[in-house]
Amino acid sequence: MTTNVLLAGVGGQGTITASQVLAQACLLEGWQVKKSEIHGMSQRGGSVVSHVRFSADGEIYSPTIPAGEADLLIGFELIETLRALPATKPDGKVIVDPRRITPATVSLGVADYPEDSLEQLEKSGRAVYVVHASEVAAALGEIRAANIVVLGAASRLLPFTQASLEEAIRLSIKPKTVAINLRALAEGAELVAAEKA
Amino acid sequence: MSEKELLSGNEAIARGAWEAGCAFGSGYPGTPSSEILPALTELGDCYTEWSVNEKCALEAAAGASLAGARSLVTMKHVGLNVAADPLFTLSYTGVKGGLVIVSADDPSMHSSQNEQDNRHYARAAKLPMLEPSTSQEALDFARLAFELSEHFDTPVLLRVTTRLSHSDGVVVVGERDLESAVCVPEAEPAKYVMVPAHAHKRHVVMAERIASLREYAEATDINHREDGDGCMGIISSGIAYQYAREVCPQASFLKLGMTWPLPEKLIGEFAVGVEKLYVIEELDPYLTEQVRALGVAVEPLPESLQIGELSPARVRAALEGKDAPFHPQAELPLRPPQLCAGCPHRGVFVALRKLKLFVTGDIGCYTLGALPPLQALHTCLCMGAGVGQVHGINQACGEKQSAVAVIGDGTFIHSGISGLVNIAYNNSPSTIIILDNGTTAMTGGQDHPATGRTLRGEAGGKLDLVALCKGIGIAHVETIDPRDLEQTEAAIKAAVESNEPSVLIASHPCVLLSRERGQPYAIDEESCVQCGACLRLGCPAITSHEISDGSRQPVIDPLICIGCSLCAQVCPKDAIAPGGEAQ
Repeated sequence: MTTNVLLAGVGGQGTITASQVLAQACLLEGWQVKKSEIHGMSQRGGSVVSHVRFSADGEIYSPTIPAGEADLLIGFELIETLRALPATKPDGKVIVDPRRITPATVSLGVADYPEDSLEQLEKSGRAVYVVHASEVAAALGEIRAANIVVLGAASRLLPFTQASLEEAIRLSIKPKTVAINLRALAEGAELVAAEKA
Repeated sequence: MSEKELLSGNEAIARGAWEAGCAFGSGYPGTPSSEILPALTELGDCYTEWSVNEKCALEAAAGASLAGARSLVTMKHVGLNVAADPLFTLSYTGVKGGLVIVSADDPSMHSSQNEQDNRHYARAAKLPMLEPSTSQEALDFARLAFELSEHFDTPVLLRVTTRLSHSDGVVVVGERDLESAVCVPEAEPAKYVMVPAHAHKRHVVMAERIASLREYAEATDINHREDGDGCMGIISSGIAYQYAREVCPQASFLKLGMTWPLPEKLIGEFAVGVEKLYVIEELDPYLTEQVRALGVAVEPLPESLQIGELSPARVRAALEGKDAPFHPQAELPLRPPQLCAGCPHRGVFVALRKLKLFVTGDIGCYTLGALPPLQALHTCLCMGAGVGQVHGINQACGEKQSAVAVIGDGTFIHSGISGLVNIAYNNSPSTIIILDNGTTAMTGGQDHPATGRTLRGEAGGKLDLVALCKGIGIAHVETIDPRDLEQTEAAIKAAVESNEPSVLIASHPCVLLSRERGQPYAIDEESCVQCGACLRLGCPAITSHEISDGSRQPVIDPLICIGCSLCAQVCPKDAIAPGGEAQ
């Protein structure tokens, strides 16, 4: 059975790094995995989406998640999470850091940031887990580790062992920030109660 | 023991080339191809370089091949247009060491100016083409491409797309078990001197080679059947095969790993065994038309499928007979990419906007200067085109200069220099502003001749932009600081009014690379009159919120601001000053 995880954020938030960690953890678990993203302009503040698909027992074909088939949506910013929501199963799960990054279109007054973004997510029928990851990361002294805090929270809903996620962080992240990211992962995991089997 | 690694399509191509004994790698950075050569460099045992452009890269690799080196050339789809001149005749000369050309196409134009389908190049230049559909195939096909190249004495096109280049998959990697046999070439004029008398004979050789390749296409297992229930048959290749496989688990497939020349008999036999035959392919009906030309009936699909990248959902809809257009979602506020906070290009665009000039441009981060609120770049055709266009506009409009061109330092060296020689030679009253940020920023910060460092991190001959411009006959060459708005505006105005060929070099390092970090600025809300001048810089650090009377109060995010001071320079009330807490 294939598990589909979609990650959505804004360029510069570490969306792609988080998906790299997830995919690496899949490899360490010995599963089949495909990961896909578009990173042409991702450092320039645009919307970023990354797809991770894994399976312990079967072949994965498309590297992108078919529309409406994401089991878990991991959102690093509110409207980017909302934008990616249609890709999620109607009974899927959503983990979201409710931080807002104002797009230029809003700053210039040509569009409005929907005030009810979180409400829209919660009313969508998906199980929504709100994790204040940016605040946790700021308290850790490294705002850029917010992506790994969210990943830590998501790990409670995914079948990874803690050991493979930790090893994946060591393999995917610059050595000098590994320690703080391991703390971010642990603190993130505290934000979501473990799923009952 | 075989080892499993998580590799992107690009990394897998590099790995396959390395395993196959590739001894020479050249290319020009371009999304989505840019990661191949750095990965090959990392693997070692292989000379690699960023060439000045794709034509230089292919010609260098053609030379290395002539000396027996297995050679890999990488570029994005539009790069192959630049390299097309040597490409077509290389098909006549053939190779000595295997020569593999990677064309990385970009359906949906995630980072491109068009979505041309480079499969046509294989057919037009009569070159065998392989199309992998997974990272594992990217590795295997890269290895195979070198074998085919040497066996059939032809360059081989390895055609990939963004979705393959930038997707990761589990790959079983092997060892570097082959080596190139390099030696100084011996003269073989009948094969390598393409004058008409020789080329006529080589054209005959090509025809014989194509006949052999057709036989190979029938026999190779990279073109294979996967039998399903026999009702629906699907011919597909590349990433499109993965989408079709995802949504049609019951169908019979003819999966093509080699898409030129096509295995015509295999296609005919496959068609006979299925009730309805579909061809699923991304972009142009390249396979569809060739299959139909064999007299095989192919079910029609909506023409809208030919625009934009495919997805499992689009393939499913098309097979159900529904229109399957490519729709970017637009209900939520869009988040277009922006020039970075502190980007040195911004000052030039602010000055150009103020001077109300028509600005020709091309491809790079600076193309973002076309978007609101800057809107100070008015053309983007291809690499280097702005330098040609500005000359045409100014000559056509009369003696007084009405347009200026902007071009990045990397792009200028890639294909702007000839245009500038043309301006100097023809006494064009045109101003070229070289946006010199000391890197190839758009594609991830690769070095280029003016940085003086090579792909392998060695010191290279350092191109002197000022000396080059003067050397080709431009008298008016000035270096300016784009962070100083007053100076920038005055220099542009003076250059335009001089009505002579002129070059301004706006020099400041790319902030993504320099990680420059000054004290953040802050807005004194008491003095701020909400005029919006700072917001019109399009700086990601400056956002706004609505205040009681409907106007918008700008604020600077100290986490994003790097203290470039541009907002303070445009503020009419001096309400912006350093004051944020440094990070």
